[in-house]
Amino acid sequence: MKTWAVYFEQPMPYRQTAELQERLVAARLREEIPDTILFLEHLPVITLGRRGRDRHLLASRKQLEKKGIALELAPRGGDVTYHGPGQLVIYPILRLRPSDSGAHGYLYNLEEIALRTARDFNVRAYRRPGMNGVWCDRGKIAAIGFRLQHWISSHGMSFNVNTDLGGFENIVACGLVGESVASLETILGTDCPPLPHVRRSMCRHAAEVLDRKLETIPPARLRRTLDLIQNGGRRRSQSVPQPPASLQLLRS
Amino acid sequence: MNIPENLRYTKTHEWVRIEGDTATVGITEFAQEQLGDLTFVELPAVGRAVTAGEETAVVESVKAASDIYAPLPGTVTEVNQALNEHPELINTDPYDKGWIFRIKLSDKADQSVLLDAAQYAEIAGGN
Repeated sequence: MKTWAVYFEQPMPYRQTAELQERLVAARLREEIPDTILFLEHLPVITLGRRGRDRHLLASRKQLEKKGIALELAPRGGDVTYHGPGQLVIYPILRLRPSDSGAHGYLYNLEEIALRTARDFNVRAYRRPGMNGVWCDRGKIAAIGFRLQHWISSHGMSFNVNTDLGGFENIVACGLVGESVASLETILGTDCPPLPHVRRSMCRHAAEVLDRKLETIPPARLRRTLDLIQNGGRRRSQSVPQPPASLQLLRS
Repeated sequence: MNIPENLRYTKTHEWVRIEGDTATVGITEFAQEQLGDLTFVELPAVGRAVTAGEETAVVESVKAASDIYAPLPGTVTEVNQALNEHPELINTDPYDKGWIFRIKLSDKADQSVLLDAAQYAEIAGGN
C-alpha cells in the first residue's frame, strides 16, 4: 500500500498536530491507515522534549506570550526547540521495518532527507560527529526529535526555510550552548526558494530515503478517514476488548 | 542473540522475570540494540497501578523517545533508580543491572499471554 503524504497549507497550532499524531499512531497501530507523512508549518511555539524540559529556556512563559510564542511539552525525544512559519516540519507516522534499521537508522534517514533537500538548493549541508541534526557553515539547519510507540514513529524533523530565527533566541536550541541556527534564507538571501518548492523536494527525498511510494492526499481526506475510523472504533470497542497490538518490526 | 531461557517475553520486546507475585521488567538485548545508545529513562511513579500493555516507562536514545509497556496488570513497587544516572546500563546489561521497574501482579494477571524464549526468538529474528 502507498504511503500517504499530506500537505497542510496553513501554519498549525502545535497541540493540534500533537493530537492528530496521537490519533494517527493509534490508527496505524490497528492497521487502519497506511504509513503517513505530514508536511506542515507550525504557528510560533517553543517545545520542550522529555529530556530537556525547561533547562534551556531563556524566557518566561509570560515573555513568550507577549511575543506570540506558545510553550508546549512535547513527547518526542531531544531537547528544546522552536517552530514557526517558514520552517518546514515533517512528521512521518511509519511502522518501522527491518530495513529502517531501528531508531538509529531512522535518525540517519531523517538527517539524510534534510541533507539531500539542502543540496537541491545548492546549500552545502553535512552531519557533525556526535551531534544530531543537519548542519551547514552558518549553523544548524535541521533538528530532529521523534517518538516510537510499538515501533511506530511520530514527530520527526524540522527544516528552516525562511523562518524568523529570532524565535530561537529564547532558547538554547537543542541544549547546545554556543551553536547558531541557520535557514536556507540565511544562506541564500533573496534567492531562497518558496516553501512549497522545498516541500516538493523534501517529499521526493523522503520517498527515496524511507523507501516508500508516496501518494499525496488532501488533509480533508485524512480527517474524514480518522473520523470514520473513530466512529467505527467506538462501536467495536463496546463489543470487543482491545488487545495490546503486537510489534511487527521484523514481520511487517 | 542473547535470549535467556529463564525469562518470559512480550511481543513489544520487554523481558519479564516472575518471582512469586512480583514481575521485574526490562527490555531485551534485541530492543536495546535497535534503539541504540540510551541517554535518558523516564521511570514510573512507585505505587502507580498499570494495566497490561499500558505505557509505563520511556527510554530515550539519540533523538528517539520510545515507550515501554507493562507486560501484566499490577502496581509498580520499585524502579531502578540507577538508570537516572546511568541509562546506559540498559545497553551494557539489559537483563540484569538494566532492569527498569517491578510490579506486584494483580490477582487477574494472566501469565499465559507472555512468550517463552523460543517464541520470542522467532519474533526477534529467529536465531
